[in-house]
Amino acid sequence: MSRHLRFIARTVMVQNGNVDEAYKILNRILTHDGVIDAVKRKRYYEKPCRERQRKNFENCRRIYHSEMARKITFISVTNREDPWLGC
Amino acid sequence: SKNENDHEGIVCQLLPTIPCSKSNGPFTLKCSCESIGLQRTLCTSAVRRQETAASTTSSAKTSRDSSIFPPIIGEESSLRWGGKKFEELPIAHVKATYNNTHIQLTESTGQSMVRTSCGTEGFKNIKKSTPIAAQTAGISAAAKATAKGVKFVRVVVKGLGPGRLSAIKGLTMGGLEVISITDNTPVPHNGCRPRKARRT
Repeated sequence: MSRHLRFIARTVMVQNGNVDEAYKILNRILTHDGVIDAVKRKRYYEKPCRERQRKNFENCRRIYHSEMARKITFISVTNREDPWLGC
Repeated sequence: SKNENDHEGIVCQLLPTIPCSKSNGPFTLKCSCESIGLQRTLCTSAVRRQETAASTTSSAKTSRDSSIFPPIIGEESSLRWGGKKFEELPIAHVKATYNNTHIQLTESTGQSMVRTSCGTEGFKNIKKSTPIAAQTAGISAAAKATAKGVKFVRVVVKGLGPGRLSAIKGLTMGGLEVISITDNTPVPHNGCRPRKARRT
């Protein structure tokens, strides 16, 4: 950060001279925190109507992916206790 | 010191040192998958990795490489590079724009020592916005810096351009030793209005 948390925030130490590794870690941190997305988006102005459409789309996408992942993990469980036990 | 388990294809390698959903200082690591279903497997793998990490950190504590985070500028750290503390080392500012890459080496006070860019290396126009040009700029900057007696340097990157990684690589290839990478990309909290969207 320019003046706030200088060399504390968004900083990664290089271990054993592995600069590539450190850069990958930094990139991963930044993508997880949404910094890289924000920078790419703010390169050109995004009109408010487009912004609303995008947020809506991302919400729907997030819900869809979570439900799909839930469904897949549910279906892929094979060892279940017998629901009809005792009938 | 990242403990990778071989039975999991989950990406996040920081799990051994940082628990899944804890906010740790300036870094809040959100889980990479927002899905609830996958989060179960992610957290269980985190638990497994933490157990293996606890068992292996006792053996892996030999060198001082158990921390990705920089030493805070309180009085604690005993890390020295060439006799200098972390906050006294020179800084290499790398400004990676979309059309060019500038590299400026400064002292910790801010006084400029070396300044190179893709343009000063003899590249013109479109060739400046390539990673190769950034690498040559990095090599020449490192050469000039070693001529002034600099060995260890911390890198500050600004901008998302093509020369972002290759400039750092060029610095290492030219002989400087990079000890930390900081990202100082300016992200406005909705300040100035950028230019209009391109229609290609």
